[in-house]
Amino acid sequence: MPGNSAAQHKVTVWNGHVQLNFQVKGSGPALVYFHPAAGMRWDPFLDELAKSHTIYAPEFPGTTSGNPYDIHKVDDLGDAVLIYEEAIRSLGLKRPAAIGQSFGGMIALEIAAAYPEIFSSLTVLDPVGLWRDEAPVVNWVAAAPNELPGLLFRHPDSEAVQAALAMPADRETAIQATAQMIWNLGATGKFVWPIPDRGLGKRLHRITAPTLIIWGDLDAVISSSYAHFLGGKIAGSRVEIIDDCGHVPQVEKCAETLSIVDKFLNRQSEPV
Amino acid sequence: MKVSYFQQVPYRHFPNDVGQHFESVVTPNYHELTEERHVVSAYRDALDECMHAARAGFDGIAITEHSQSSYDMIPNPDLLEAALAYATEVEGIQTAIYPVGRSLGKSREPLRVAEESAMLDCMSNGRLVCGFPVGLAYDANLNNGIPPAETRARFDENLDLVLRAWSERKPFAFNGKFSQYGAVNIWPRPVQASLPPVWVTGLGNPKTMEFCISRNFGFNYFGWFGYKLTGKRIFDRFASIAEQLGKKPNPFQIGFMQQIAIAETDAEAERIFGPHIEYFFRKGLGAIPLHRMMLPGGIDIRGLEFVLRDPSDFGMFEKFRTASLKELIEAGCVICGSPQTVRDQLVELGRNYGIGNLHAMLQFGSMPKELTMRTIDLFSSEVLPALKPIWENEYEHHWWPERLGGKPLPLEGQAEREVA
Repeated sequence: MPGNSAAQHKVTVWNGHVQLNFQVKGSGPALVYFHPAAGMRWDPFLDELAKSHTIYAPEFPGTTSGNPYDIHKVDDLGDAVLIYEEAIRSLGLKRPAAIGQSFGGMIALEIAAAYPEIFSSLTVLDPVGLWRDEAPVVNWVAAAPNELPGLLFRHPDSEAVQAALAMPADRETAIQATAQMIWNLGATGKFVWPIPDRGLGKRLHRITAPTLIIWGDLDAVISSSYAHFLGGKIAGSRVEIIDDCGHVPQVEKCAETLSIVDKFLNRQSEPV
Repeated sequence: MKVSYFQQVPYRHFPNDVGQHFESVVTPNYHELTEERHVVSAYRDALDECMHAARAGFDGIAITEHSQSSYDMIPNPDLLEAALAYATEVEGIQTAIYPVGRSLGKSREPLRVAEESAMLDCMSNGRLVCGFPVGLAYDANLNNGIPPAETRARFDENLDLVLRAWSERKPFAFNGKFSQYGAVNIWPRPVQASLPPVWVTGLGNPKTMEFCISRNFGFNYFGWFGYKLTGKRIFDRFASIAEQLGKKPNPFQIGFMQQIAIAETDAEAERIFGPHIEYFFRKGLGAIPLHRMMLPGGIDIRGLEFVLRDPSDFGMFEKFRTASLKELIEAGCVICGSPQTVRDQLVELGRNYGIGNLHAMLQFGSMPKELTMRTIDLFSSEVLPALKPIWENEYEHHWWPERLGGKPLPLEGQAEREVA
């Protein structure tokens, strides 16, 4: 784990039935980070953001180590949205900024559509949640494990990607981490299987938070043609396409992504 | 031992290089690869083979279910079993009607499953045995769109509904998570007073075994992965779970599917069946990549850790596409040889692993009807008589219809409901 380790903050929600674990790190205004389908993992992008923000990163129910079966208490995406809203409220976070990547981007969009006042700003990186027949989204949950790096990244052999994919050296620790990652893909997969479209498109008009949409131009999971399609559905949103980049700009083009996100966040915090 | 004839309906005329063009038997393009006459004959031949086996004295006709797959074109085994229920009833053949693979983790219409089964039990006048697997990942999730993380919960709920729909005396409302019915009141109901015996197929997951033992269902295991590699592990695990639960083992609670090739001599069997065996493993089951069988969310996290530590439960699976005939025979993926060879191995297998029900898969891959008929004849005359007496006077068979000599027990939970 790069940088200082995160504090763990458990929040009990859903009438006591679900325990959400927030990883908390950094200082400054609150920022909620919604992780992608494989689970929460700190990376240089988040560490850098933690220098100017207090990052609250909730682990999707079922993806917390040692608490796998909470996923069975979340029946549908509507439940997940309510659970997250409950947790953010119970933490007392007042209009935090939100960032979500891929699956986490879909979650952030859903929450922002359900509760238009909840976030001060919204940044989504290659989010799923929409579907057009002419550009089918790849089912990453069903992909062969050896094909995943090539699907997620434009340059899977690059240093930054290799660091993100690194597994623990100890065999038993690696087994547990692999099992956890597969389980996480299954837990989050429940809300995107077999097609990652639960009707988000018809709810997007409700979003009022200033919204930044970032997309890797060569995303092989969900094509960058979705960037403007999504942007067209959120009034006042901005779209930034990152060149020579796959599905995870925060890993593959960390510096460039950070610079765009930083500027956007700074602008939102300027007094009007 | 009860010995069923086990049937799939594969497309039998693929070109040799089909495996190079498609990553899996569930993705090939139908119109590019099939001829209508070969599809039509596949069904006629399969039913002819099933009837031939029924007349030859097999105890049951077991048929699997696979949606959208070229190696088994049976989206619903009840359709074929219905034809067999009628034909065997007309001819007075006392054989079990055994749809072995009606997956309940996959079913979006569980009430229809309850109704179809009840119909089959009536059509066969009490000869129905029900196989309700949880469901293979590629079938339930990829083919039928069920999220892998929901398969197990759907199975539990659907099975509960089927059993209640069969047994409750009055209409009831069913408020499930996956299906809701204002009033469940199916017509007809099964004729078997103790309800059709229920069997669940597992790949080795301890949870499935525990479920079968604690609920008193039969447990089916299919030996394609190579019984010499996996059999001891699987059946020892079943026995130890039974012991932990304080249940006395009964071989009749265990069913085992084995692919079998039989000819006059070992050499003849290998010569005749070699190409068909390779066809089955290279262009059939073996051409399904492992990741399609183990989708994230479908296997419990503890099970994942178990499989990652020790993948031996999958036996030969990952080698299917390249394995030689010799390797497949040595692993026990197929028992291939003279009547003596086949008989000796099956008797030993049944005795050593405590198996009371054998599903003999005698048609596989590209085998034509004439060869399958000959195999059925040779098996029923030379092997069947040696298998039937195994366990016969040692245990009672509680997982078989009364009309066919079984001694069914009331289903777990049924008694309590009646009291309530």
